[in-house]
Amino acid sequence: MKAKLFYLLPIIVLTGIICMGTMPAYAAKIRVVATFTDLADFAREIGGDLVEVHSLATGVEDSHGVPMKPSFVPMMNRADLLVLVGLDCEHAFLPALIEASKNPRIEVNRAGYVDCSLGITPVDVPKTTEHYAGDVHPYGNPHYMLDPVLAKTAIANIYNALVEFAPQHKAEFTRNRDAYLAKLNAKITEWERETKPLKGLKFVSYHEHWPYFAARFGMDFFGTIELRPGIDPTPRHIEELIAAMKAAHVPIVVREPQFPEKVPKRIAEQTGATMVTFPVMPGGVPHTETYIKMMDYIVHTMVAAAQARK
Amino acid sequence: MKIMVAFIALFMLLWSSTGVYAETLEDRLKTLEEALRRQEQTIAEQQKMIEELKAEIKQAKPPATPEAAAVGRPAASEQMQQEVRELNEKVDRVVEAQRKTLPSEFNPSIGLVGETIFSYTGRGSSQTGSDRPGGFDAFQRSVELNAAASVDPFAKAYVVANASADAATGESTFNIEEAAIQTTSLPWNLTVKAGRFFAEFGRLSYIHDHELPFVNRPLVLDQYVGGESRTDGVQVNWLLPVEHYISLTLGLGNQFGGDVPPNNVGDYRRLGGWNYWGRLSSYFDLTPDISLEPGISGLWNPRTNGRGGPLLQPDGSTLTERERRLVGADVALSYKPLRNNQFQSITWGTEVLYSNNHYDAADSSGNVLPSSTVGSLGLYSYLTYKFHRQWSTGFLFGFVEDAQNNKAKAYEYSPYVTWALSHWNQLRLQYTYTDYNSASAAYGLHSNNAVYLQWAWIIGSHAHGWQQR
Repeated sequence: MKAKLFYLLPIIVLTGIICMGTMPAYAAKIRVVATFTDLADFAREIGGDLVEVHSLATGVEDSHGVPMKPSFVPMMNRADLLVLVGLDCEHAFLPALIEASKNPRIEVNRAGYVDCSLGITPVDVPKTTEHYAGDVHPYGNPHYMLDPVLAKTAIANIYNALVEFAPQHKAEFTRNRDAYLAKLNAKITEWERETKPLKGLKFVSYHEHWPYFAARFGMDFFGTIELRPGIDPTPRHIEELIAAMKAAHVPIVVREPQFPEKVPKRIAEQTGATMVTFPVMPGGVPHTETYIKMMDYIVHTMVAAAQARK
Repeated sequence: MKIMVAFIALFMLLWSSTGVYAETLEDRLKTLEEALRRQEQTIAEQQKMIEELKAEIKQAKPPATPEAAAVGRPAASEQMQQEVRELNEKVDRVVEAQRKTLPSEFNPSIGLVGETIFSYTGRGSSQTGSDRPGGFDAFQRSVELNAAASVDPFAKAYVVANASADAATGESTFNIEEAAIQTTSLPWNLTVKAGRFFAEFGRLSYIHDHELPFVNRPLVLDQYVGGESRTDGVQVNWLLPVEHYISLTLGLGNQFGGDVPPNNVGDYRRLGGWNYWGRLSSYFDLTPDISLEPGISGLWNPRTNGRGGPLLQPDGSTLTERERRLVGADVALSYKPLRNNQFQSITWGTEVLYSNNHYDAADSSGNVLPSSTVGSLGLYSYLTYKFHRQWSTGFLFGFVEDAQNNKAKAYEYSPYVTWALSHWNQLRLQYTYTDYNSASAAYGLHSNNAVYLQWAWIIGSHAHGWQQR
């Protein structure tokens, strides 16, 4: 009998440990995993103390090339909500991570899969997805978060998901959201006022991050340094771009920090344009830890660069 | 009389064909009538809806004083018109998006991978152990058709069909390299895979040739595993429910290794005739940019029953495999700066394998000799440095002791440079020096030089899988 107990006891203990580990932990906080730092910022603002938010990206990564770290897997395995930009922005790393995380709550079309692009009318929807057009996004340009008005759609989607997950906290979520929206709306008015003198300003960037931003503030997104999305520029493309920029007097070259500086700098030098470095998500450059700080940084830098040329 | 019969036959033929036509015409009329009726019904429904909407709009109009209406009208009307224009644009875009019809929308995602190898090898195949000729060679190593889709809410499935050219005839042989189903919604972090698949063993065994960081599979994987870790069987993966990433895989299958036949074909097989394997792997973020990924693997086939037949030794004796045992440890240390990981990275990967197979032996006359267990060691280690989005370079070192005769040793040294024009189009140039020792020379193998130019391409669907991270 003793011998049986000797064997039985460790088995029971081990089973107990495993079961405890696999049981959904009814933690006090709602666990949110966001793909990018801007979405994580919104989730924190709306969720307040009720949420525990992690971001896969730190802000400095290429939004299409966040490394698939296995350390993300346990985090996603426990997540209640997965918040993403959508429009295939995360196609290079997210599907495999979702599969590896083995969490049915956050799979596509489940309640925990929060696609923030719902309600967004995308621009640049390609007529074909043939690879000669580069690494195109079949549903359109996914960088709508750089338009603060469209970013409010992401806020609405995150709010809805939180309310659906924890309806008992609706009042608090609503209070937090409204407070944040008030702050953001005031900032949008400020940014629109500041960028008024920039109407029609032409600029090029490394990647097609900026059509939504340009449309919102009335600027002219002239083209990209990349030959096609995800494809590095060829010497001929650079030559043609320089000629076109000179002819159209394009004064600004935007370089996103995850791309090398050398080519944008050379283009700026040869065209007489000013090169500015803009983050595409909070944390991309120092002092841009939140969405509002990031947009402040972008708007102020753009205005300063345009004014310095006058 | 003949004319009469022909006339009657012609009449009957015409009569019958007219009947068929009439029948068809009647059917068509009926269909048209039905379509017309449905159309009328739709129009009536839509008319009704319009009337209802009109009534709603009338009710919704706010009562306004004539003065206020006169003042506010132009601005409100302009704003309204603008909103209607925007709304129309949005609706048009949605309609345009919905108009797209995809004839393949119920098909799985399909991709095709091609891989051509141009090479020069310093010695003939009899001295290199390769099935390719020495000298200049062009080889369409594979054309791989991949198809994958969800089966239902509980599983997904995929197929990899591969056509590779026969070394002697050049004829391509089409075979199913993988065809497996995998669960997607099991509880307790479990995933079950069944069918024909590349079993999770070691670091590179389950990677397809064209996805390797170099042109050829390291010697030790060819020798001990049998190329790719292909098997027909079932595999269970468990992600441990702890905060640190630990993955455990266990499986059993018919054969193990791409070129290895199943044992006991056509005979009675006990459970010991199966292959059993397992892998435990983990991951550590040493810094945000530096990571360490260790793993251990094991394979056991308790009763191989002379798998592959008697293996002829240089002295004329034979060895017949009775039990297969293989263990391995692997590690990958990577530097991938978060900001520049698309443009810069360094990966050092190493795998050490120890084979400990049991053999029955017979001399050249067929007399039974004492059976033996041969322990042999092999490893490969490579360093790849990515210095541009399109360019990377590296060096592969390999060492292997023959699994039947650990005195026979081989070393490989391969520098390589890769030019990835895009995700789907890649060229790789590699030089390989293979050094065999004197014991290997007894098998006819001699040191040799080779240069390879590999051109790999992908069309159609491609996914960045978890295993290719």
